[in-house]
Amino acid sequence: MQREYKWFLPGLVGILVVLGGWLSAAQGREGPPAEGKPVKAGLIYVGPIGDYGWTNAHEQARQALVKKFPWLTTTYVESVPEADAGRVIDRLITEENCDVVFATSFGYMNDTVAAAQRYPDKIFAHCSGYKQAKNLATYFAELYQAYYLNGLMAGALTKSHKVGYVGAHPIPEVVRHINAYALGVREVNPQARVHVKWLYSWYDPAKCREAAEALVAEGCDALAFTEDSPAVIQVGEEHTAKGRPVYTFSHYSPMGRFGPNSAVSGQLVDWTGLYEMLVTSIREGRFEGKDHWWLMKEGAAAIGAEPGQPINPKFVEVLKKIEHTDPVLGKTNIHDLVMKRIEQMTDATVSFDPFTGPIKDNTGQERIKAGERATHDQLWTIDWYVDNVVGSVPK
Amino acid sequence: MAEAPDSLVMSVLARSLVAGTPLLLGTLGEIFTQRSGVMNLGIEGMMAVGAVSGFAVAFETHQPWLGVLAAMGSGALLALVHAVVCICLRATQVVSGLALTSLGLGLSMLLGKGYIGQPLPVRFEAWPLPGLASVPIVGPLLCQRDPLFYLAVASGLMLWAVLFHTRWGLALRTVGENPVAAETLGLDVIGVRVVATVFGGAMAGLAGAYLSLAYSPSWIEGMTAGRGWIVVALTIFSLWNPWRAFLGAFLFGGIDVAQFTLQSYGISPQLLKMLPYLATLGALWFTSSARHRASPPAALGQPYERGTR
Repeated sequence: MQREYKWFLPGLVGILVVLGGWLSAAQGREGPPAEGKPVKAGLIYVGPIGDYGWTNAHEQARQALVKKFPWLTTTYVESVPEADAGRVIDRLITEENCDVVFATSFGYMNDTVAAAQRYPDKIFAHCSGYKQAKNLATYFAELYQAYYLNGLMAGALTKSHKVGYVGAHPIPEVVRHINAYALGVREVNPQARVHVKWLYSWYDPAKCREAAEALVAEGCDALAFTEDSPAVIQVGEEHTAKGRPVYTFSHYSPMGRFGPNSAVSGQLVDWTGLYEMLVTSIREGRFEGKDHWWLMKEGAAAIGAEPGQPINPKFVEVLKKIEHTDPVLGKTNIHDLVMKRIEQMTDATVSFDPFTGPIKDNTGQERIKAGERATHDQLWTIDWYVDNVVGSVPK
Repeated sequence: MAEAPDSLVMSVLARSLVAGTPLLLGTLGEIFTQRSGVMNLGIEGMMAVGAVSGFAVAFETHQPWLGVLAAMGSGALLALVHAVVCICLRATQVVSGLALTSLGLGLSMLLGKGYIGQPLPVRFEAWPLPGLASVPIVGPLLCQRDPLFYLAVASGLMLWAVLFHTRWGLALRTVGENPVAAETLGLDVIGVRVVATVFGGAMAGLAGAYLSLAYSPSWIEGMTAGRGWIVVALTIFSLWNPWRAFLGAFLFGGIDVAQFTLQSYGISPQLLKMLPYLATLGALWFTSSARHRASPPAALGQPYERGTR
């Protein structure tokens, strides 16, 4: 697939880069006199900016910051295969004179580390990796708290006690999200089980649709997913319209518009703050090569199928009517429980975390001891399912 | 299981028909193109442009049928480029087809920028066929579908009839088998080939419209996801016969669907992921072993120059 773009894209990107450079240069002249030094950032995207998911979310942040900061100029290259990262970085540094390169895919890690050694006076930031250096930071906006909250709602709404999950690739990030979702489901509905289908693709709307249809055919009536298209939401909306409610939870971008009667909530990412922090620190000369792992508290993650609506208004009353007794909070309802958990996960001390023991995996082995919280490293390498997920993580 | 197993089977069958419809539409078009002796490998590109233009027009006008027309028109237009380059200028068909794929995919991204993440206000709803829709098994499977499914089935039957039972079909096949003889018979080889190529493009555009208007009503870059290449394989698998195109398209649709149903039975998802490719290999093996029964149009891929032999 990528191969076919090979000749067209460089041309298109070339035109865009020239246009973008011209536009931002024009903008730069009107800006106020700079206090720090101007920053030129180059971004490498793994997908097309129109994927309505991962790459699109980074692109939104880039556009927001270019508007906000007259001293910031940017350039980007989209749909870069992971094997080509080194070459693209070289070009961004030597031809585009970028001060900082953002490499936005896990697979770019080794090339980015090598480039950081090759260009010690330039700055690098690698998204989702774990290798840092003096001039190389890592950064990530993590969504597991949002998945947990969606799990609370899915567990409360399911009538069949079967909830589904369409996963992209069986890597720790996705397994962590499935587990967070399952922990939410279990908290309000211990008898429900989570069924998983794997796509082995980050982006394939048709396959994703078939995976969702298969889950519905097996009886699941609440679906969450990791894939960069609204296919699962559309499947939920179609079954709901035919009189069989299937509740869905949108992923990454606002997808509620594709399922006004099906999408209950979802997870929304906002990379703007993270990128703002990084480019500002470069401008002010206080960049540090460390790891930035941002969650709900930092504003990098939120719940909702559309911005500004944590829960689809159509489901607010429904969720308020579902009662729940929490060992600590006492008698409450699902809506209030979700809101309370958001409060706890965004307060100064993060007084609640879904990955708090005792947690057993689905073979009965205790993974997190009672009263303990999973560490960053545990979450980063997780390769087992919590006890209410069916099946095993494909090896 | 909350659901009876037979409803699971029904769901798999029904989904196979849906997933197979775009493959069927594309394959029918390519069969016609290749029967005239022209190989067009640009299906993927024409499908993508069809999908985006169909979506854009349906989105702006709220008329899904106008979207279908736009999709067919834009697919035909791209195919016309191929026709001019390969038939009139006699360039290499394989290279031109590959270029068409890149061009179409790039063009679709450019045209579609403003439509990403927009839900379609109108879409093709199911049209239950009066009387037939309530027949058990056959009714829910075949007679409660969207109109484009009926259109695909009807065009398959019609194209079969045209190809094998009309003088037009005979002319088309003659041009693809032996253009020199066709010219001697007074047939306009260039004209027939241009028409067949443009028709194939319109069908590929229609297949794209099925994706963006009925199957997954939205526009996302790369939504054709390699279907254009499966169409090329299915054209060979079908031995250039519309009947077999039905079999191939719905079989491949079924493989797409079954890989997810089978995951719950503990079969390794990696293995299931390989199914479509194994099936493609199997199909090609089947075809080559069936060579004695049908072979590709003899003049397939060869440019034709008037008055030479």
